[in-house]
Amino acid sequence: MNTEKLWYNIANWFMIRPRTSGFLLFLFLVFTVIIISAQRVYTISENQDNEMNVILNDINQSIEHSLIICYTTTVALELSIDDAGIPQNFDLIGKELFESNPIVSNVQIVPNGVIKYMYPLKGNEAAMNLNVLTSNSLQKESNKCIKAKKIFFAGPFKLAQGGIGIMGILPVHKENKFWGFTAVVIKLETLLDIPRIKFLDKSKYEFQFSKKNPITNKEEFFIPSKLDLSKSYYKNYAMPDSDWNLYLIAKKPYSIYAEVIIRLFLGLIIAIALSILTSRFLKKPIELKLLLKEQEEKLLKNEMKFKSMFEQTAVGFALVDASSGCLIEANDKFCDMLGYTSDEIKDKHFTNFTHHEDVEKSIQNFKSLGEGKIKEYSVEKRYITKSGNPIWVQLTVSRLWESNQKPSTNITVIKDITSKKEAQAQLEKSETRFKSIFENSPLPLWEKDFSAVKNHLVELDLMNKKPETVYSFFDEHPDELYKCVSLVKIIDVNHECLKLHKVKDKALLLENVIDLIDIEPFDEVKQQLVAISQNVKQFSIDSQIKISNGQIRDINLRWNIIEGYEDSLERVILSTQDITDSKIAEADILNSHQRTESLINTIDGIVWEFDFETMTFTFVSKKVETILGYTVAAYMGIPNFWEDHIYPEDREYALRTSKLVNKTHKNHDYEYRMIAKDGKIIWIRDIVNFVIEIDKPVISRGIMIDITIMKEAEKTLNNSLYLVSEQNKRLLNFSYIVSHNLRSHTSNIESIISLIESADTEEERNEMMHLLKSVSLSLDETMSHLNEVVNINTNIGLMISPLNLNIYFTKAKDILCEQIQLNEVSFVTNVTDDAVINYNPAYLESILYNLISNAIRYRHPQRKPIITIKLYNEKGENVIEVSDNGIGIDLARNGDKIFGMYKTFSNNPESRGIGLFITKNQVDAMGGTITVASDLNIGTTFKIYIK
Amino acid sequence: MNKKIIWIIDDDVIYQTIINKLIQKSGVFSTHSSFMNGKEAITTLNNILEIHKEYIPDIILLDINMPVMDGWEFMEEIKRIKSKIHKKIIIYIVSSSIAIEDKNKSKTFIDIIGYIPKPISVDDLIAIVSN
Repeated sequence: MNTEKLWYNIANWFMIRPRTSGFLLFLFLVFTVIIISAQRVYTISENQDNEMNVILNDINQSIEHSLIICYTTTVALELSIDDAGIPQNFDLIGKELFESNPIVSNVQIVPNGVIKYMYPLKGNEAAMNLNVLTSNSLQKESNKCIKAKKIFFAGPFKLAQGGIGIMGILPVHKENKFWGFTAVVIKLETLLDIPRIKFLDKSKYEFQFSKKNPITNKEEFFIPSKLDLSKSYYKNYAMPDSDWNLYLIAKKPYSIYAEVIIRLFLGLIIAIALSILTSRFLKKPIELKLLLKEQEEKLLKNEMKFKSMFEQTAVGFALVDASSGCLIEANDKFCDMLGYTSDEIKDKHFTNFTHHEDVEKSIQNFKSLGEGKIKEYSVEKRYITKSGNPIWVQLTVSRLWESNQKPSTNITVIKDITSKKEAQAQLEKSETRFKSIFENSPLPLWEKDFSAVKNHLVELDLMNKKPETVYSFFDEHPDELYKCVSLVKIIDVNHECLKLHKVKDKALLLENVIDLIDIEPFDEVKQQLVAISQNVKQFSIDSQIKISNGQIRDINLRWNIIEGYEDSLERVILSTQDITDSKIAEADILNSHQRTESLINTIDGIVWEFDFETMTFTFVSKKVETILGYTVAAYMGIPNFWEDHIYPEDREYALRTSKLVNKTHKNHDYEYRMIAKDGKIIWIRDIVNFVIEIDKPVISRGIMIDITIMKEAEKTLNNSLYLVSEQNKRLLNFSYIVSHNLRSHTSNIESIISLIESADTEEERNEMMHLLKSVSLSLDETMSHLNEVVNINTNIGLMISPLNLNIYFTKAKDILCEQIQLNEVSFVTNVTDDAVINYNPAYLESILYNLISNAIRYRHPQRKPIITIKLYNEKGENVIEVSDNGIGIDLARNGDKIFGMYKTFSNNPESRGIGLFITKNQVDAMGGTITVASDLNIGTTFKIYIK
Repeated sequence: MNKKIIWIIDDDVIYQTIINKLIQKSGVFSTHSSFMNGKEAITTLNNILEIHKEYIPDIILLDINMPVMDGWEFMEEIKRIKSKIHKKIIIYIVSSSIAIEDKNKSKTFIDIIGYIPKPISVDDLIAIVSN
C-alpha cells in the first residue's frame, strides 16, 4: 500500500514538473549514451591492438626465422674453422652456405676482427681487410658481442661494399681464447622482404624498423616515413640479440573516435528530442487543467453576473412556473416594487397582485405563452402592491423553454412606469387646460402651423441667411411672398378671434381668411418671414387688419412657438390684440409727454432723474447742452459722467454729500463746481428730491441751476468785505494808538498846567514850564510818527518797481556804517548782485534800515553781532530773511505786541517802539506779511513775504 | 492817620516828575518810590518781602504799557507771590488809555481796586488814601 502510494507520489511529482522531468530524463539519456560510447571506444581500440600485435608478431617471427638461418650459417662457418684456427675449404663451404641461404648476401670469416674471408668476394672487395673491432660502425657492438660470447646482429649500417645491411657476428673462441668472428651480411631490404610486410594494409598501418645508434645512443629509423612516431599510435617489439625495434604504426589513430562521436551526437539529439517530447507530454494535463479552471471561472463569473443582474438591476426579474403561474423566485427590485419580501412573494400566483381590470388579459397572455403560440409578450399593466396601491409596469414575459419541450419556467421582467404614466396623464390634462385657456383667452388667439412655410424657406435656401438678404429676396419676388402666406395653415382660432373679426363661427372665419388677412402691410409679413428664417421663437409687431365689415383695426401681432415644436414650427400660437384704442391713448400720452418735456427743457436748469435700481440717469434735460456744453446722450450714456466732471476740489464734498443724501433720502440742495466742455468752471446749485416707494427711494430727481454769476458776485462782495474789514481793523488800531499815545501827552500837559497854576514859587513854575516844553517835543514826535503811519495806510497805488536788493542792502549799511564799525558787525548774505524784487523803493529802504538797526541795537553783549540776510522763494513767494545772533525776545510773552506802536521790551534808552510798527505797516501796505521767530540769548529772525 | 508808602510804576519820565510833585503836594504819603517797569518793581518787592517788611508799599499806581514787564504781567507776578505778602496792597491802574478793553481787563484781576485814567490829581491821591 505504502509502496504504491510512494510510486504514485513520485509519478505525480514528475507529472506536475514537466520541465524538471524532461531535464532529468535528458541527463539520464546523455549519461547512458556516454557510457555506451566509452565502451565502444574501448572495444574498438582493443581490437586494433590485437590486430597490431598479431601483425607485429608475424613480422617478428619472419625476421627471427631469417636470423636463425643466419645463426646456423655462422655456426656452420665456425665449424669450418679448425682447431688451429684456419678455415677449411672456405670457398666451398662459403659458396654452399651462400647458395643454401638466399637471404645471406655475404658470408665472412673474420679472424682477429679483420675480414679475411668472404664469399662471394665479387662486388664486396671494399670490405676485405676491414677491421671490425676498429670500424666506427662496428666497434662497440663487436666488443659487446665478444663479451656475450653469442651471436649478435650489428647494424644496419652502410656497407663498405655499398647499400645498407646488417651483420650477424658470432665470436669464435679457440681454446677459450678469442680467435675472431664468423659473420654473415644480410642486406636490410632482403631481411625485410617478408610477405607480412609486403602485403601490409598500407592504408591502415605502416612498418618501421629502428636501432639505437651505439655511438650516439640515438634511435635511428631505417624506413623512410612521414609519420612522427611521438604523435602516433603504435605497437613496438624490441628484438633480443640485437638492439632492434620493430614498430607497427596506426596511420589513422582517430578514426575510431569519428565513428563514436557521430553516435554520441546522434545519441544526444535523441536524448534532447525525447526529453522535450516528455516534458511536452507531461505539460498537456497541466494545460488542460488550467483551461478547465479558466472555464470554471468564466462560468462562475457569468453566474455571478447573472445573479447580480438578477438581484441588482433597476428592473424587476421574476421566474414564474410556466405551468402553474406561480412565482419561483423574484429579485429584490421586483419585491421592492410590489412591497413584498422575497419569502412572501414566493409561490404566489401572478393574479394575486395583478390589478383586477388587467387579470383577464394577463391570464389570456399566459395561456398563449404556455400553449406555445407565442414566444414572449410585452404589455403595460397595473400591479397592486402589498399596501394596495396600484403601480404601472412595463411587463415582458419570455419563456425559458423550447417549443418542443415541456413548459418549465417563464422569465418576467417588469419596469416601473408609474411616473411615465402619470406624466402622460399630466400631459393630457395640460393639453385640455391649454385648450380651455386658448378658447377662453381674452386675447384673440390663433393656432397656426408654419412648418410648410419653413420648409419652403429651406427650399428657397433662405434659412439662417442674413436678415437683409431674406428681406430683399421677398422684395424682389412678391410671388414667393404670396406663396408663403398661402402655406400658413390655421389649426384653430378662439372665441375672441371671432369677436375681433366680427364673424359668427370658426368655419366662416376659416373660409374667409384669405380676404381677412390683408397682406397689404407687406413689410410686416416680410419681417415675420425674416424672423422664421432666423429661427426666432417669439415675434412681436404692430400691424393692421381689416375686419369683416371692412374696418381697419390696429393690432399687436405676436407669436410664440409652442415648446417642442421649435424645429418643425407645426404649432405656433398667434395673438392679434386689438390695440386701436390703446394706440389712441398712447398717442395722447405721447403728446402730453412731449409737452412736459418741452416744458422741462424751457426751465433754466438741468432737470435730471436718477434710478437707484440701475444706478443710471433716466432723464437729463436739454439744458445740459447750454449750461455745461455736453450732449444729453453723453451725460446719460457715459458711466460716472457726473462724478468725473465735478471740479476736483469739490468732488469729494459733492460725492460725500450725494451719498449721505441718498442714504437719508431727505430732500436737499447743495452747491459745487463742475467743469464745462469748454473748460470753464460752472457753479451749480443742485436741488435734490426723492421719490419714495415703501420706505425706499426708487428715484431721485433734481434741478441743477447755474449759479456762477451769483457766486462770482458773492466772491467780489467777499473780497471787498475783506478789504473793508481789514481797513476797519487798521482804523480801529490807529484810533487806539491815537487815543493812547496822544492822551498820555495831553494828560501830562493837563497835569503840568494844573501844577503851574498851583505853583507857589517862580522857580517851581519855571520847572513846570521846562517840563511842558519837553512834553510838547515828545508830542510833536508822536504826531510825526502818527503822520507817517497815516501816510503809509492812506497811500493807495504805491509805486512798485523792480529793485536790486543788494543796492538797497548796501544803502542801509551806509547809513548805519558808524554803528557797524563801532560794534564790529559782520554780515552774511546769499543775495546775488543781480537779485531783483518788485517793491516800493522807499519802503524797502525803510524796512531794511529798521531791521538791521534793530539787530545792532539788540546785540548780545558777549559776542560780536553777525547779521544774515537771505533772499529765497517759499511756496511761490519771495522772502527776505534778516536774522541776528542778538539777545532775542521772549515771544511767548511779547509775541502779540512786538509789532505794536511804542512797544518796547528792554530798558535800552534807544528803544522807541516805532521801527517795527512802521515796518509792519509798510509790509502790510505792500500786501505782504512779516513774521518773527526768536530764541532768548540766541537770536531773532524776521521774514518779510513779498506778494 | 498813618502816612502811607506809595509806589509809582510807569515808564513815562515826565509823568514820574509830575506825580512826584503831586505826592509832595498831597502830603499823605510817608515815602514814595518810582519804577520804570513792572520788572523793577517786582524785583524790589521780592527783595524786601522777607527782610524789610516795613517797606512793603500800601498803594501801587500801575501803568499798563511799559517795556520789559507791563502792568498785566506785573499783576500775574503779584498773584504768584501774594501768599507771601502779609499786607493788603492797594493797586490802582493809572493809564492814559481810555480804551474800554483795558478797563475791562483790569476788572479781571481782583487785586486791582480801580482804574484811574490820566491825568491824576492831588485830590485823586487823597481819595485813594482815604479809601
